[in-house]
Amino acid sequence: MSTSKGFASSHNRAALLFLSPAFLLIAAFVAYPVVYAGWLSLFRWDGASAPVFQGAGNFVRLAGDPIFWRALGRNLLVALSAMVFQVFLALCIAYCLVRIVPAFSRIFLFFYLVPVMVSEICIGLLWRFMYNPYFGLVNAAFGALGLDGLKRGWLGESGTAFSAVVVVMSFTYLGLYVLLFVAAVRSVPESVYEAAEIDGAGHFTKFFSITIPMVGDAVRANSLLAIIGSLKTFSLVFVLTNGGPNHASEVVSTYLYKMGFGSFEMGYAATIGFTQMLLTAIGAWLVFRYLKRAGVGGRT
Amino acid sequence: MGAVRRWTVTNTVVLVLLTLHVLLVVFPFIWMIYSTFKTNKEFMRSVWSFPRSFSLDAYVGAWSGGALGGYAVNSLLIMAGATIITVVVATLAGYALAVYRPRWMPAVELGLTAAMAIPAYVALVPLVVMLRGAGLLDTHMGVVLPTAAFNVPVTIFIMQAFFNTLPRELFDAARMDGASEWSIFARVALPIARPAMFTAAIVNMIWVWNDFLFPVVFINSPARKTLPVGLTDFVGEHITNYPVMLAAILFAAIAPLVLFIFFERQITAALLGGAVKE
Repeated sequence: MSTSKGFASSHNRAALLFLSPAFLLIAAFVAYPVVYAGWLSLFRWDGASAPVFQGAGNFVRLAGDPIFWRALGRNLLVALSAMVFQVFLALCIAYCLVRIVPAFSRIFLFFYLVPVMVSEICIGLLWRFMYNPYFGLVNAAFGALGLDGLKRGWLGESGTAFSAVVVVMSFTYLGLYVLLFVAAVRSVPESVYEAAEIDGAGHFTKFFSITIPMVGDAVRANSLLAIIGSLKTFSLVFVLTNGGPNHASEVVSTYLYKMGFGSFEMGYAATIGFTQMLLTAIGAWLVFRYLKRAGVGGRT
Repeated sequence: MGAVRRWTVTNTVVLVLLTLHVLLVVFPFIWMIYSTFKTNKEFMRSVWSFPRSFSLDAYVGAWSGGALGGYAVNSLLIMAGATIITVVVATLAGYALAVYRPRWMPAVELGLTAAMAIPAYVALVPLVVMLRGAGLLDTHMGVVLPTAAFNVPVTIFIMQAFFNTLPRELFDAARMDGASEWSIFARVALPIARPAMFTAAIVNMIWVWNDFLFPVVFINSPARKTLPVGLTDFVGEHITNYPVMLAAILFAAIAPLVLFIFFERQITAALLGGAVKE
């Protein structure tokens, strides 16, 4: 661009003006509260009486709090399962919709997106029926298959509660990734597939050696989206098990909610959220550094 | 050559598998809809069967007492407030991101991406303190402002994706005519941006309508609760009458579903526009 200096600075000023409302809103209600959470994590506070300065006390307590670390571990398990049962499964479904049954892709996509549109509270309440120990459909299905030994109170037993929640998450968020991958798979030029077909490649070969490499950017973007979503997860866990029984399905968000608004340990609740955010940031930084060194994430 | 593909066994197998899978995904919703036409007696007799008669008792039961209607009005007010603020703010910012490219713009984009990754619950305790200080705790506005702020980053990217599709000559021509930067935005960009703003508004309406964390923490008065929060109370009180419970759940789910049925194209476009940025 051949612009004079005055022209460029007027653009600078205009850009700043247009951005300022967004900047103010985010600064006041996102950035400031996050920093404030760091400050509050230095205090013991019940939310009503005067806060008591603790120094690093909350962090020491958190470091030795097995419930927090198990909850954080479950967030990571949610992310891992999201990679397999949301991102990878969605890519498989998207390939089938675009390459094998394109005439039906629109109607399938519509139905896959239904749970994405509906409130997680509604979905969670409905799945409480599916998992009901007395008349639930999950138990009925096992009964019909002659597997009566597998019948149980899925959400009420500590051995199955977390897995049961993860299954609901997979069904609920899958559609978003199907949508994103359908768009990506459609953008792969037909000629690439035709060349492979001349060599006699089947769908399996085409999926792994053409589609996956060609939609690499979408795979990276959607994986990132799934991981971020998994670290944020709250509503479904809250309504299905509220982290129970006995913390067996606790994730960071439900633990924070209980600490802050059940036990009124506001300082400790702030510590939980702030620490998770710090750990996420450090984790992200390490991953990106590793990817950069390995030369993988070049284009993102 | 436009090869005419034959319908093969593979196609049939894939179609059957996908159909079974999608039925599994939407079954809870189908079951919810047909079960609301049962009486509680019929429901208790067989939970999963189709209704034999067509009863509207559940809808009458869910509506009586009027609690759900009140929750819906609260949801509607918060939805309107947050959506308007978010879309206006994000349109301005998305325009700046697409049209001006000063050296510091990549830093702004990075900041917005980071803001998108921050879980809302990290800000929960500080927001309660701030809202209480400002007298906004337990008010609609107290939910509207943080909700809008957390939805702004992704909405900016949706709007930026739209403004990126506009040819630069459009703005350069107006600039040659000596128009100010504001009037270029207001007279040239804004009129063509209306469909994109509408699209961004639709997805924001769905997000805000379904939102749970902020309303459940910031609002205590039953008279100000939103539908998803009120629904959890309602379900707790009607634990003995399942069709009534299901009618209430359907009531909370219906608004986003209707929006989706009517604006499927816009909603999918918005989700694609906001997500490709990440």
